[in-house]
Amino acid sequence: MKKYFYTHLVEIESVFIELEKLELSEIEKKQLAHLIDSNLHHHILDAILSQLSMEDKKLFMDHLTKGDEKRIWQFLNAKTENIEEKIKKASEDIKEKLHKDIKEAKRVKA
Amino acid sequence: MKFKSKRPHFEYLRKKWTQDHKNQTESLFDKHLRHVALTSLGGLMLLTTSPGVTLKSDHLLTNDSLKISGRENKNLLLVAVLKDKIPDEVRVLTSDEEKIIADELTKEVGIKVTPEIEGKRLNRTYGFIGGEQHLYRYPGDSLYAHAKTAKDWAMYGSSGIAPGLGAWGYFAPSKEEFSTLDEQRERYYLAVQTFLSPGYVENLKEYRDFFKFRKMLVVNPETGQAVVAVIGDAGPATWTGKHLGGSPEVMHELGLSTGPRKGAVLYFFIDDPEDRVPLGPVILGEAGA
Repeated sequence: MKKYFYTHLVEIESVFIELEKLELSEIEKKQLAHLIDSNLHHHILDAILSQLSMEDKKLFMDHLTKGDEKRIWQFLNAKTENIEEKIKKASEDIKEKLHKDIKEAKRVKA
Repeated sequence: MKFKSKRPHFEYLRKKWTQDHKNQTESLFDKHLRHVALTSLGGLMLLTTSPGVTLKSDHLLTNDSLKISGRENKNLLLVAVLKDKIPDEVRVLTSDEEKIIADELTKEVGIKVTPEIEGKRLNRTYGFIGGEQHLYRYPGDSLYAHAKTAKDWAMYGSSGIAPGLGAWGYFAPSKEEFSTLDEQRERYYLAVQTFLSPGYVENLKEYRDFFKFRKMLVVNPETGQAVVAVIGDAGPATWTGKHLGGSPEVMHELGLSTGPRKGAVLYFFIDDPEDRVPLGPVILGEAGA
């Protein structure tokens, strides 16, 4: 996953530490990593889009496609309140879910 | 007969997270995007697919995959250009060879490269690169903090982190002062044999300051893959049989991150007094390259 405009707000190191304990192969790590990044991205997009009007959703998606981080943040700060906190909350929620899933996975027997 | 998975933990997570991905994609579309006219493919490109889902146009769905395939085609031209200019054995190049190769790279890559700057040079410009570990970037740094995304963790985490600091210590004095530039420098760092540089011993401080974060272009002549990196550490020792080292990300961009993690590369200084050349992979055909 490429670095997105919100990457600096997301900290999921603790998830990697727990996944390392599962002794995954390189391919398994890559597959799960792809899913983690993608699910996190969707969760954060949902949190952002939930704050925007129909017209602003379209504008935001256009900005996102162009990838101009400065413009994206200018737009979000103009159209929403406390968006950074909302993004952090969304990433914490998904992190908690990932930890729960990993804990469940450890209980599964061969 | 009931078959049981040999990798139950992985299978559980893969299935769970693939289903979550599918549910989230549908929910995102239904809640927000169904009535929004997305005027470009870019909108769809933001809904990346999971490895368990195959679409006919799957290769179009990420910017990264498009860039990689374009890069491979254009960078192969570099292989053809360099083929008859590099000796068959991996040895120290002559001055004439260095000049010809440096001029060719400058022309093809669009970045001014040279074997010598300010009268200073390394002991060689063609040698074997080996994989290095991550370096501690600030006090309290950890291996997992290096991963910006889960993909980073999967690709680069297994390289580990060096027990000691690089030759110039931490990249930043604290986590609070750690900048994007510092992050990029550690991500794309090289370890070079500064101690074998002509004049190094006699002019230690001057040479140490010169080499610190000095930009270099590293090229894999077998594949044409190239990366702009900075000198971030000194080494490796001569007995290793290697002449320089690359961070996990540098090795990945050179196509040398798997197998023996070693290969022959060209490496030249980048003459960039205004600090305009960005660190990272060089993709021929893009601006500046």
